Amino acid sequence: MPRPIHETRSDSEDRDGFFSRILTKLNSLWVSATYPFARKGRNMSLHYGSDISRRLAPLIRLGNRVEIGNRAWLSHGWEDNEIKITIDDDCRIGARCTISAKNSIHIERDVILGSDVLLIDNNHVYEAVTTPISQQGTSAGGRIRIREGCRIGHGVAILCERGELVVGRNCVVSPGAVVLRSSPPDSVLSGNPARVVQRPIDIVASAGQQSLSPSKEA
Amino acid sequence: MKQAGKLTSADSGSVAGGKQEMSSARCRSVKESTSTLDLQAIRYPSQAPAEDPLLWFPRAVGKLRALWRALTYPFALFGKGAWVHYSCHISRSAAPYIAIGENVNLAPDVRLDVSPVPGADPPVLILEAGSGMQRRCMVSARNRIHLMKNVMFGFSVLVMDHGLDDDESTDTAGRSHETRGGTIRIEEDCWIGCGAVITCEQGQLVIGRHSVVGANSLITRSIPPYSVVAGNPAMIVRQYDFLKEKWVLGCIRPMAATDPRQPDPPAKASADVCACESDVPGSAGEVSRGVR
Repeated sequence: MPRPIHETRSDSEDRDGFFSRILTKLNSLWVSATYPFARKGRNMSLHYGSDISRRLAPLIRLGNRVEIGNRAWLSHGWEDNEIKITIDDDCRIGARCTISAKNSIHIERDVILGSDVLLIDNNHVYEAVTTPISQQGTSAGGRIRIREGCRIGHGVAILCERGELVVGRNCVVSPGAVVLRSSPPDSVLSGNPARVVQRPIDIVASAGQQSLSPSKEA
Repeated sequence: MKQAGKLTSADSGSVAGGKQEMSSARCRSVKESTSTLDLQAIRYPSQAPAEDPLLWFPRAVGKLRALWRALTYPFALFGKGAWVHYSCHISRSAAPYIAIGENVNLAPDVRLDVSPVPGADPPVLILEAGSGMQRRCMVSARNRIHLMKNVMFGFSVLVMDHGLDDDESTDTAGRSHETRGGTIRIEEDCWIGCGAVITCEQGQLVIGRHSVVGANSLITRSIPPYSVVAGNPAMIVRQYDFLKEKWVLGCIRPMAATDPRQPDPPAKASADVCACESDVPGSAGEVSRGVR
């Protein structure tokens, strides 16, 4: 079981510079005080370079201790007044992530998105061959749900053209993968298009060999 | 629907459970949004929240900087209605080699790295009318990169018309670790997906018109018109069949038929299918002469 992020982080760590951290702190205070989010958590850390528009805030929910990195971009459409983007407690959104929701993107607790991750729940329509693709608009799209404890690597694209895409609980998606379909929980996904390369039973077996299980050590 | 069927068959238990939870969560969100807690979410369309006033100053500075660049940089062409975001990386010395057509839109953090090899005729980078690039796209042009009309780019696309090489003998113009490279042409109405990488180490790479390149795919060879490619290396997954007048799965003709690096490409391999004016791609000899 992955531990919550706030326990794994050490206090001596200085990932950004001193002034950068102050700016980030000020930005998070300003944004959480003035933006009309549908829900805002406490102790959010929103990087000053992150791109969250105040106009879009009413359909975004952010949980407690959410971290959003530099140049991360949250955007959504206005088809109906449903909540479009939900980021639950203790999530960490890396730098340069793009989350673009037409219907709904839900990131559950303790999910870590690496940098350059792309979450888009709709697609461009290209079927009409006489019209330029840029003038054909976007498809109806689907919904994306990332269950709790997932680890999404750098540069992963999670695209859902229709239906519902669920990345199972505690999945690990390796860098550069392109996820187009739902995945079972506790598995490792890799490749373009992404496939399950490791099932939960493999992980349990390998953990037993490395004498990580408490019963063997005792 | 087909996708949903696959998903339930793959892992019926967890995903079906997820669906139930999802639908209940949706109900909850609707309920919550009707409660007093989330009134703002409901009130939205009539009362759009104003933009953050802290953004006015950087936006004004950004607009001024973008205008300054459009007016004073010596672009080979800067069309009407084109907009280059102020955070784009374009050096002034590279501007004479860049032609930007009408209504071209370059999003934040686009990097146009243009340093032509000697003998390349300007402009080296051509963005025709209506084409655009999304955030963090990077173009590295040495010989020629040509984006035709209405080409759409996703996020973080890399287009490079030269390769990297350790061989010192291929070194040109004092640039170490770079091959001579080829030329890239992306034809009308293409859509390049997010994170795609398009590189051309030699010859001419042509992405045929109205083609779609999937996310995170790697393109090193030409693509026939009206096709959808994806994967690493990219394979054709769909193509438009003009006889049946619909998109069909798989490849109508092999990808190698239009590969420019074939010594003797079949004449008009793609022209008979797509009825578009795509010339036969250049051969290796043309590249050694440095033409285009």
